[in-house]
Amino acid sequence: MLDNKSISSEELTKETFKLAEDLKELNCFVTMNEDASIEKARSIDSANDKHSTLAGIPLAQKDLFCTEGLRTTCSSKILSNFIPPYTATAVERLEHAGSITIGKTNMDEFAMGSSNETSYFGNVHNPWKKGYVPGGSSGGSAAAVAAGIVPAATGTDTGGSIRQPAAHCGITGIKPTYGRVSRWGMIAFASSLDQAGPLARSAEDCAILLNEMSGHDAKDTTSLDVETTDLLKSINQPIEGLKIGIVKEFNLGDLDSGVQSCFENSKKLYETLGAEFVEISLPNISASVPAYYSIAPAECSSNLSRFDGVRFGYRAENTDDLNDLYIKSRSEGFGDEVKRRILIGTYALSAGYYDAYYKKAQQVRRLIKNDFELAFKSIDLLMTPTSPGTAFAFGSKGAQNPVELYLEDLFTISSNLAGLPAISIPHGQVNALPVGLQLIGNFLKEDQILNAAHIFQQNSEFHLDKPSMEDF
Amino acid sequence: MDQETVRTICYLARLEIDKDKAQKIENDLETIIELIGGLQAFNTENIEPLYSPLEQTAFKHEDIENSDNQKKKFLNNSASSNEDYFLVPRVVE
Repeated sequence: MLDNKSISSEELTKETFKLAEDLKELNCFVTMNEDASIEKARSIDSANDKHSTLAGIPLAQKDLFCTEGLRTTCSSKILSNFIPPYTATAVERLEHAGSITIGKTNMDEFAMGSSNETSYFGNVHNPWKKGYVPGGSSGGSAAAVAAGIVPAATGTDTGGSIRQPAAHCGITGIKPTYGRVSRWGMIAFASSLDQAGPLARSAEDCAILLNEMSGHDAKDTTSLDVETTDLLKSINQPIEGLKIGIVKEFNLGDLDSGVQSCFENSKKLYETLGAEFVEISLPNISASVPAYYSIAPAECSSNLSRFDGVRFGYRAENTDDLNDLYIKSRSEGFGDEVKRRILIGTYALSAGYYDAYYKKAQQVRRLIKNDFELAFKSIDLLMTPTSPGTAFAFGSKGAQNPVELYLEDLFTISSNLAGLPAISIPHGQVNALPVGLQLIGNFLKEDQILNAAHIFQQNSEFHLDKPSMEDF
Repeated sequence: MDQETVRTICYLARLEIDKDKAQKIENDLETIIELIGGLQAFNTENIEPLYSPLEQTAFKHEDIENSDNQKKKFLNNSASSNEDYFLVPRVVE
């Protein structure tokens, strides 16, 4: 519509803000960027730009990406007044391609959570059911896309934070290979696990966005300097003979029967399209959750030590001395889940426990990576459910025992530990709530998982299902 | 995990726990440590730790000045600063 001028970029942008206002109750945005967005839309209209891939497309950015001059909070009280002096590379590249950053999306505080219930700015509702979680941590981004406010949004994924909310909101989301997208300007949670990626309505849209976000960045020392593939050109290839692995150790028979039947149906669809299924053993996969909950908190306790109330962010008042300023600013500024993870990480890294917890977890991480390397010698990709169940009601999981919520990430965590790309696509519903299917690829094989996801979507209609929004 | 250990970790992390939440935090930490303790069941003899999935040396670039001095912008983000410094409570009497 933008191309044939049946709508101008300015009209589209204004419509986007109107819809976001009408659906304010979803609580998927922390900060809107209205004036600057309309100004950019006008300049796109007057430039008549037909070459930039995303010219005039409104996008939402997870509130973890620094945006110059636009408040960036990580959904935390401690950053509730932070205005970054620079823009994250991933966002800068999307904006360079012509997209318009309409606002910053709500998330779990510092991306620590799987339900978006740890945000200082309140819970995000799942567009499919009011009072239900959208998943996390990129819950605001997933809800904004599912509700149709924006066609796509950015997210970050440390243990499933793109894929799990994509699954719970019935959209598509990809976590690229570690190093594929620059982390510069992303507020770090766990540096060896964090990776940015897009959430959108389809694998094809994800390919368009990922094409723009990817690429070497000299400002990020972990950015890969490899030749980039045009992901849009590599989708729509036949999948005859594609070998898909099913992980024996995941005991899918223990899952909810509705989730199981979605999985079986998708397996059949892939078989009719010519794919072959192979049972694969990943003997150390059960160590993923404990390894992750040692490594991620350890890295978080180190990364979040920068929030001390001195140089930026919230500073407590009435403090006795410098140490008291640190303690009060951090204690008043961080929420309970963030404190819990900092404390676990501090414990795992402290003298006497480092070898038993942190080093041990990193050794186990290698065992998990080795298992994947061996598996990918005989298969092209792995298929698992994205999440053990569907979205759940606010407060119904993890309140008494945090580990209950940590197990939500059972299927997603291992690809972060090994640095592998993985995508979640919608593949059915249980009790009128979406269910996600995960495809994990080998190192730098985003093209292969996007192609398999695209072919699935060309032969099914789950990605076209939309929530009625009648509760909002 | 006893109260003394929790107090030590809190001090190391420069965090204070509300009294009414202390017991819950202690229980939560205990549960999480128990989860992580499950790692001991895996044989990691002679296995090198994997600290990053990339396992490559971070690339280096020439040490060339490549951005403007943004001192004012950075100082403005502090709750308390003057023209040159971030201000904190007096450290030396």
